[in-house]
Amino acid sequence: MRAIWAVAALDLSVWLRSRWAVAAALLPPLGMAVLVGLLTVSVGQQPVALVVEGRGQLASRLATLYEQDEDAYLLSVLDRRTAEQALRDQRVAAVILIPADFDERARSGDGRVVLELNNVDIDVSDDIRRAAARSVAELDAPQLGLLGELHGPTEGILLPSPYRIAIAERDLRDTNVEFLQYQVVPILIMVVIGVGTLSSATLAARERERGTTRLLLMAPPRRAALVAGKLLGGLLATAAVLVPLLVIGAAAGVLSPPLAHWPALLALLAATAAMASGLGILIGLAVRRPRVVTMLSLNTAIVLFFLGGGFTTVAFMPDWLQALSGLVPTSYAIDALRQALFYPDLLGFGRDLAVICGFAVVSAGLGTAALARSLGRA
Amino acid sequence: MSGLRVAWAAARLELQLMARDRLFVALTILAAVSFVAMVSLFGLTGSRAPMALIDEDGGPQAKAFVSAMDRAHHSFRLRPMSRQEADALLAQGRLVGSITIPAGFSERVTKGQTVALDVRLDNVNVDLSNDVQRALPAAIVIFGRESGFPGLRAQVEEHDVVNHDTEYIPYLAVSALALDAFVVAAALGALAVAREWEGRTLKFWQMSPARPASLLAGKLLATGAVSAAALVAAVAFIGLVFGVWPVAPFALAGTLLACVVIFGCVGAWLGSVLRRTAPVVPLAFGLVLPLYMDSGALEPTRFDGDPIWIIAHGTPLYYAVGVLEWAFHGLQVTPEPILVDMAVLVGFAVAAVLATRGALRRSRA
Repeated sequence: MRAIWAVAALDLSVWLRSRWAVAAALLPPLGMAVLVGLLTVSVGQQPVALVVEGRGQLASRLATLYEQDEDAYLLSVLDRRTAEQALRDQRVAAVILIPADFDERARSGDGRVVLELNNVDIDVSDDIRRAAARSVAELDAPQLGLLGELHGPTEGILLPSPYRIAIAERDLRDTNVEFLQYQVVPILIMVVIGVGTLSSATLAARERERGTTRLLLMAPPRRAALVAGKLLGGLLATAAVLVPLLVIGAAAGVLSPPLAHWPALLALLAATAAMASGLGILIGLAVRRPRVVTMLSLNTAIVLFFLGGGFTTVAFMPDWLQALSGLVPTSYAIDALRQALFYPDLLGFGRDLAVICGFAVVSAGLGTAALARSLGRA
Repeated sequence: MSGLRVAWAAARLELQLMARDRLFVALTILAAVSFVAMVSLFGLTGSRAPMALIDEDGGPQAKAFVSAMDRAHHSFRLRPMSRQEADALLAQGRLVGSITIPAGFSERVTKGQTVALDVRLDNVNVDLSNDVQRALPAAIVIFGRESGFPGLRAQVEEHDVVNHDTEYIPYLAVSALALDAFVVAAALGALAVAREWEGRTLKFWQMSPARPASLLAGKLLATGAVSAAALVAAVAFIGLVFGVWPVAPFALAGTLLACVVIFGCVGAWLGSVLRRTAPVVPLAFGLVLPLYMDSGALEPTRFDGDPIWIIAHGTPLYYAVGVLEWAFHGLQVTPEPILVDMAVLVGFAVAAVLATRGALRRSRA
């Protein structure tokens, strides 16, 4: 045990002293975190101008519906000329115009709300189209608004609607998870994979490059202890980065699982780190040159992160890509992480953890076998 | 010794050195090109939420409503299945939600009665939840209007600035080219300079009668050529996989060339600061990701408000994305005219070259 710990502690101190190596492991996930933070500005509210030229009751009611939809719009109420200029300047993505004759035409069933839309970006455009249509629907069927969906038919209140359809919405969770929280949390997995892989790979490659492997063999501890120490060193390097992030995340409220979920969460992160360390040892032994090791570790971490659903939702991927994602350990890690953080129970968590542990056993086993063999050939 | 001959000799040497470091160069290019594919994965979540459809009715009105949902602004990818299957997939997070059309739907709607749809939603992600919560009423409006139900007083009349919608993934993939240019050109440029520090060959530059600027120009010419080849591969990938080809190929070529020059010089500066080759690419990736977001990659930056839009003007990525979207899709995603975007890019390229010369002089001093 002392020998294992000694090897691990040495590797950890070497790695921590390599500032560029630590930076190389941390910068991509940190960049990704900033990217996701900026992403929250893009999704959600869209800048829209509202022009109300109608003076009647219906026009006023419709304008109120648009103004109250604060989740959909960053709304500015403007006159027509200013609004059209804002559209040309791209200060708004759309202009919603309630024309002067709205009430008169609405009484004959032909009320028109004019949507002038800058549709350069289909994601923004579709958001605005949906929201604009919903407000129009609410004018004739108030139960089609969000409150109606959540507290209407689900609570036994079904009002007649000219559209003849009402929505009884039941949400799986008591509260929504904010987009920032949902997207940032998987970056923890990217940190674990990136740091675990790169630290183990760099340290393994370093021994070969500097020829210090023979010195290790001349030391009293057995080969098994050396190999175990190397693996533990990678885990400790990951923990050195991860633990402060967990503390900061918990203090900031970004990581706030139910108390009973913390042991499961820590077990998940430890298993993922073990898997990454084993993978890193394999990379370091296969490649050896520091900059190639860095590149390959970075590529591996990015591919695993994306295919695992770190930047998107797996359910949206095509079937063949979902199948591929099922072969990637990070998909289980990210699923389990979200389950532990955002759901009241740990449904499916055990299976995900078992899969990660399986991958960890395989990668750590292969990594240590390769390291033992390279020590034997030194 | 003629500066051009020196530059050419330096370029040939750099190409030979890169040939010996093939794996690193290939991995750098792979990282950048694969980012195009990865970014497109994000585009998938912009539309067509996977929803289970449990149609217990099957009548004409039910079919009409399903058709309306299919046409509700790219909102749903409906998958017919049973209740049990839907519940299982929902619990696993493989669906965003489920919609049940109850038995008797068609008959009751035909009689003028109101029918409640049972909608179950995995509201783990507020963005996805909002999309579905807005899309369902939009589908209902389409259904009501097309069915000619009485009592519907208003509808939306849409006028689009652009005469066609551009699918989100091709939009994203094009903007990712700017990110590719940054990573590849900056990484190779930094590698070319940092290698001189690591190999302690920079002192030979000082002893050489050749001007260091010519040597540097030659190195960056070589890295630029390789970067350009990588970008051609990325453009081909976009064309072959997404079926998107540029409508203004010369503007595209000019923009990518300017990006290679700018980011190659940025890389050279990075290399002279870092003086090590290993952290070059992770640093480039870490820097470019937030810059990429602020460049209008996902939507016109002007939509994000004044502060973000103003900050975006400080990076060439903003102008590059503006020209690239125009070159591929004919879209204007910046309020500035395209010619202004192009001119500013050229200005950035000139400034980058001058800054690199200055940094090199200070490194030697």
